[in-house]
Amino acid sequence: MLLRCEYHVDSDLRFLSNLDMMHLMERALRRAHIPYALSEGFNPHLKMSLGTVLPVGLWGQKEYFDLELRIPMDPEIFKNNLNEHLPPTMGLNRVAIIDSHSPALMKVINSAAYCFVIDAPADRLEELSQRLLKASELIVRSRGKKKDQNKDLRAGIFKIEVNQNQEFVIMELWVSTGEPVNVRYDELIELLEHNGIAPGSLKDVYRSGNYIYHDAAFNTPLEKVK
Amino acid sequence: MKDRLFREVLPRVSKPARYTGGEVNMIIKDWDKADVKMVFAFPDVYEIGMSHIGGKILYGLVNERTPHLMERCFAPWPDMEAVMREQAVPLYSLESFRPLTDFDVVGFSMQYELSITNVLNMLDLAGIPLTSRERNAEHPLIVAGGPVAFNPEPFADYFDAFQIGDGEDLLPELLDVISRNRGASRATLLLALSGIAGVYVPMLYEPSYSSDGTIQEIKPRGEGIPARVRKRVVKSLDEAYYPEKPIVPYMTIVHDRAVLEVMRGCQRGCRFCQAGMVYRPLRERSLETLRKQAQAQLYSTGYEEISLASLSTLDYSGVDSLVHELVKEYGSQGIGVSLPSLRVDAFSIDLANEVQKVRKTTLTLAPEAGSQRMRDIINKNVSEEQLLEAAQAAFKSGWLAIKLYFMIGLPYEAEEDLDAILELLKKVKEVGSRFSRRPVEIRASIACFVPKAHTPFQWQPMNSPEELETKRRYMTRYRQKNIKLSFHDNRVSFLEGVIARGDRRLGPVIYKAWQLGCKFDGWSEYFDYGRWQEAFRQCGIDPNFYTTRERSRTEIFPWDIIDTGVGRAYLWRESEKAKDIALTDDCRANSCTGCGICPRFAVGLDLPDAGLVASQRPVFIMDEEQVD
Repeated sequence: MLLRCEYHVDSDLRFLSNLDMMHLMERALRRAHIPYALSEGFNPHLKMSLGTVLPVGLWGQKEYFDLELRIPMDPEIFKNNLNEHLPPTMGLNRVAIIDSHSPALMKVINSAAYCFVIDAPADRLEELSQRLLKASELIVRSRGKKKDQNKDLRAGIFKIEVNQNQEFVIMELWVSTGEPVNVRYDELIELLEHNGIAPGSLKDVYRSGNYIYHDAAFNTPLEKVK
Repeated sequence: MKDRLFREVLPRVSKPARYTGGEVNMIIKDWDKADVKMVFAFPDVYEIGMSHIGGKILYGLVNERTPHLMERCFAPWPDMEAVMREQAVPLYSLESFRPLTDFDVVGFSMQYELSITNVLNMLDLAGIPLTSRERNAEHPLIVAGGPVAFNPEPFADYFDAFQIGDGEDLLPELLDVISRNRGASRATLLLALSGIAGVYVPMLYEPSYSSDGTIQEIKPRGEGIPARVRKRVVKSLDEAYYPEKPIVPYMTIVHDRAVLEVMRGCQRGCRFCQAGMVYRPLRERSLETLRKQAQAQLYSTGYEEISLASLSTLDYSGVDSLVHELVKEYGSQGIGVSLPSLRVDAFSIDLANEVQKVRKTTLTLAPEAGSQRMRDIINKNVSEEQLLEAAQAAFKSGWLAIKLYFMIGLPYEAEEDLDAILELLKKVKEVGSRFSRRPVEIRASIACFVPKAHTPFQWQPMNSPEELETKRRYMTRYRQKNIKLSFHDNRVSFLEGVIARGDRRLGPVIYKAWQLGCKFDGWSEYFDYGRWQEAFRQCGIDPNFYTTRERSRTEIFPWDIIDTGVGRAYLWRESEKAKDIALTDDCRANSCTGCGICPRFAVGLDLPDAGLVASQRPVFIMDEEQVD
């Protein structure tokens, strides 16, 4: 049985690497006595795939993994059992049974939303987001492949929202994580810095979600399995 | 504090997960309800410190079984240290993010001589005066334990008290005494601590020196202070506390697995081995207890591997049944068993095959010396035949690489002994070519022998770095295909040698070295021999006095203040037997060797599953020294 799980990682765990997170999940599954399936072969391992890599330094509200079980389990019971054995600083939001032939998370997720918590007036950020969306190109230094070359992020920025919270303003950017361009959060920070957001006024950054972007609609991997 | 760390400090450093705490099974006790507050400080990075079993035991013990509290703290890597100093962030505990100055006691785990510069650095980062003399009741009490504490003298300036031997009974007693002396002056507290068996308070002793520089006497400064401090021993390991819910770190640490301590102590009697002498007597845990501890640990941690730890796990009476049971019970869940140390014989290889049905990477064996003569001198009871049989068994069952541990600079060493190492490696490779289907790789890790306190070799001169360098050059004068030699840095070994048999006069040298920037001396990227040489020069201390000098039978050693229970007469006898190339058997297999541990502690070998009944227990030999 294949389960698709949506989970959150709080700020306290923002410094874990992807490998650390895999170990954490695996050990929690064992503590919770979840009947996970093991791969065949010389070096049996859990059949778990993390959909996306949460960058070190960021926390996330909606992250995903798929897990194969040896013995079927009610998703709600699975969720509650595992949550009891995860650190209180992370947990599953939702779990659903999916078709065992569903395409892998990594193949379908093509968009992410990043939130930048900024100490600046909302109207100024509103104006900034309009300016970014109207620009014909947005050049930053590439951080991923082709390191340090110029990279145009414009085609990869789909949507920007600005919302006031209690203390600061949250600027949320929906971006592409594959075609036409893979936009990284640190490249977005540079873009904001180029546009007058001083590093000191950036109070926090987190990933608010991962999406399947198609026909101008953002669906979560749980809403749109195939 | 925590908020600021997460926002401003940790994003700027490498491996920030070292500094966040919050791991699964971490214990945060109520600060206001806890009695004595102690922080367990490990003078190396998180991933080393968290791998240490002693720390896991004491952490669980204090927090679960006593009214006191224990939190943790590790040495920050230099990049983190720089940001902490720049931002004026004091050294803090990982549980409550409190600065170390909030605690009543800071307890350093001293596993390695050269970590002392990290101790000084950590005290400095915590804003605590470095020397015992400068501290008063306002400051936390600074204590130390661990193997290095068996010669506490070089560190006498920096610690208020040392805990000698097993900590399970000793540490709770120490915390109780601190609790009863709340509000007392530091002098009163130190006097009270010196009354606990196993506690050495260096300030209460005064050394004097002879004209040749050797120690004349180390004298207690007053009435009622013990002339010697006897180490503490947990009589029954089977009944001793062992943590069932150890912390599971988020980041990968050096020993990232569940651990069972199957036994403590070893009496094979290798003459170079300090642990084998100071952790006597041998005590085993019963299979029944280990089974329970294995299940509890695996369930509470979710670890994918469990390791059977001790000084010589293959000597544990129940090792065969334990390994088979664990593999049978947990193998299907993808949980593996590992053996950290192997004996050099075919039985070991069979057992290694049992636990490593897959992934046969590198097998590690420790013959320690190349020639039979030298193995007899150091009392390593292993023959070349056994070693080659082990290699054959390993290659036949699919291992492709063998790593062998050797030492150079051993007592009475001659060129033939060095040749013998190379010849032995060649023979192992030949066995590999004959019995393995694929080309094999032989690696030799060659350490420099460092004579240690409380061992039969405590009288032996150590080779100078120059002699060791000549030996290294000699051994590497030609290359052999698929045999790789790697040598420990002989300057690091030399410095270890200075401190291992050092005395109080090294205190200022250590301070000077730290001032000159020495830290993480055990890490090759930070070790700076030039700075240490400068420190010796500025303090007017000749390091060779502690290393290359031959010591007379009657010389009073700085560590004589510590009584390990193993008699000096026995050590000298063993030293003489080394000269005569004579072997001493394991007392478990044969008769008592008269080391003195059993009569002194009124204990016997504690082997719950070995089928020993009282009448079969060896009769103890008493010698002239043991009437104390």
